[in-house]
Amino acid sequence: MLGETVGTGLDQIVIIVYFAGILLFGSYFGRYAKTTSDFFFGGRRFAWWLITVSIVATGVGSHSFIKYSSKAFEYGFSSTMTYMNDWFFMPFFMFGWLPIIYYTRVGSIPEYFERRFNRTARGLATLMILLYMIGYISIGFLTLATALYQILGIPLMWTVVVIAVLTAVYMHFGGQTSVIFTDLLQGFILLFAGLFLFFLGLNYLGGFDVFWDALSPQAKLPLADFNRPPDFNFVGIFWQDGFAGSVGFLFLNQGLIMRFMAARSVNEGRKAAAINVLFVLPVSAIVVSNAGWIGRAIVNVFPGTIDPNLDPNDIFVEVTNLVARPGVFGFLIAALSAALMSTVDTLVNASAAVFVNDIYRPIVKKERSDHHFLEVARWVSVGVTALGVLLVPVFNSFETIYEAHGWFHSTFTPPLVVAVFLGVFWKRFTSAAVIATFTAGAGLMILGQLFPQLVTPFAHGIAMQAGKPYIYIGALYNIFVCTLVGVVVSLVTGSKPSKNIKGLTIFDIQGAREIFKGGKPNDREGEKVMVNWREADGADDTVGLSRTDLDTMAAEPGDLVYLCDRRKWLGGLKSLHSVMGEPHDEPGIVYMTNQQVKRGLFVKGKVLVVEKEM
Amino acid sequence: MILEFSRTWLPYIYLYGVGGIFFLVGLWIILRYRSLNLQLKRDRSWFRVLLFGFVWYAMIHAVVIWAALRS
Repeated sequence: MLGETVGTGLDQIVIIVYFAGILLFGSYFGRYAKTTSDFFFGGRRFAWWLITVSIVATGVGSHSFIKYSSKAFEYGFSSTMTYMNDWFFMPFFMFGWLPIIYYTRVGSIPEYFERRFNRTARGLATLMILLYMIGYISIGFLTLATALYQILGIPLMWTVVVIAVLTAVYMHFGGQTSVIFTDLLQGFILLFAGLFLFFLGLNYLGGFDVFWDALSPQAKLPLADFNRPPDFNFVGIFWQDGFAGSVGFLFLNQGLIMRFMAARSVNEGRKAAAINVLFVLPVSAIVVSNAGWIGRAIVNVFPGTIDPNLDPNDIFVEVTNLVARPGVFGFLIAALSAALMSTVDTLVNASAAVFVNDIYRPIVKKERSDHHFLEVARWVSVGVTALGVLLVPVFNSFETIYEAHGWFHSTFTPPLVVAVFLGVFWKRFTSAAVIATFTAGAGLMILGQLFPQLVTPFAHGIAMQAGKPYIYIGALYNIFVCTLVGVVVSLVTGSKPSKNIKGLTIFDIQGAREIFKGGKPNDREGEKVMVNWREADGADDTVGLSRTDLDTMAAEPGDLVYLCDRRKWLGGLKSLHSVMGEPHDEPGIVYMTNQQVKRGLFVKGKVLVVEKEM
Repeated sequence: MILEFSRTWLPYIYLYGVGGIFFLVGLWIILRYRSLNLQLKRDRSWFRVLLFGFVWYAMIHAVVIWAALRS
């Protein structure tokens, strides 16, 4: 730590104003959470760009700024590795896992485990995912409080409590819609702030050329040395972050999955994933790392300005304080807060979803109204936040936040990663095998921690350090033993009949589409149409379009349809999913019930865009 | 100062070799089971995007390594 209070009174005011603004902004969107579907999934209505920014805000946590800046200060551009190797798994995600979870309408990842395997598998997955998310929330609080308490001048635990209360307030009222819209704001803030800090740093140094020349060739290489040093090497990071981390984040982060479930269609979810990985992640890599690069360049260009032996965890605050003027420093620290709050709100919402869908609803109270479950979800959000606060002292006992985070990842991710991957992409994977993966696989992982010699065959020549053996490459061992257990047990036990896992594996993706539609999908390619809406009497959930419009859309009665306010900047906030009813003869008009108008939040006189789903 | 192969191009080859195997297996599975259906216009576009993504990242890493070595 820096050991002294940093920032000015103006910085404190900027941070407080920022928090107040986010509180009001997030709470405002509470009006859009009227059902559990709204609270958890935002009504499955949003456009790809909203989902993309929200994913960025979720992915870039406050720990990212601290963690990657510290590695950037020590090792240079190779700090970006974790952000730059997700693409290998995109075919699996975009055309495997995403359509399966979307089309089967599972409320949570544990629910998938029950449908694909059995109730025991769901129970184990629920436990592991809840532990993972609540722990993650706690680490997030700790990270931000560690940076903020020096600036606000209040004790660390009180800083944690203040942040937690603010998060809980807008989560309590807003739910997923609140998360997505605050993420939109915070995502832009943190991207802008990170790039702005880079600009300020370059300006402080005297331009890009000075910055570039100040770094050694090693520091400019985008990938670390193959297997050296033991605590930061390419191959270890590839298996821990590139494989286990990326698959874990894409496939198992309940918060992220819910973000994709809030997309208005699978195709929109694919667009969000693709744009995020292709273009936004490389920018995010610069955003979270540049303070470290600038710090290293300052050490070389202006000796004495920054201590070359400074604790790397402090480099973000140190550089920010150095290159930014009062007020701007407060804004940049507020962006750090944005990173935390947008990650934590996602995890809180996701934990509430898992608790309500996987524990409360199936076991405790089956016959209650949706309003009741919505109230429970709201209070669970508050409870989860409180639990996260209570766990902060536990994680504060680790030597560094980085270690706490690494321990968490390597302990909880591999069994879940293997279970989901084999479940989706291997039909033969059995219920007994998934339970063995969770239990025996976890047991072998613990053995690997107790006897690091077991990891040596996987180490690619990485030296075994005394005290902290195989920090990263242990992930490869963990993945291997979990896969081995899963495969061996599958081969000696019986799997479910194909008809019982319809739509739940990649081998039956058409089955998933049929389940979603409730009939055979219509794959004829048509065009969107613009219509005015009118209210009509009726109790069914269909909408009435003209024959002409149906022809343009290549649609027919019974097809799924999506109606959305034409104003694209709303991102789908005012929209509705429905089913095509019997056609009429008034082109450019859609008839819908009063209930549908309310659900879609449509405004009188505003034109709608209609498209056939699937 | 001469940088060793293990510091420069070996990680790159491993990344796009091992990662490439996962990528190609993923492509093969989704094409084989028609989750990505090349008979549909939209899916053909997605197929091109997937290939572009792989080349895009390989290019970014290659260019930065080249620039670092050149400096």
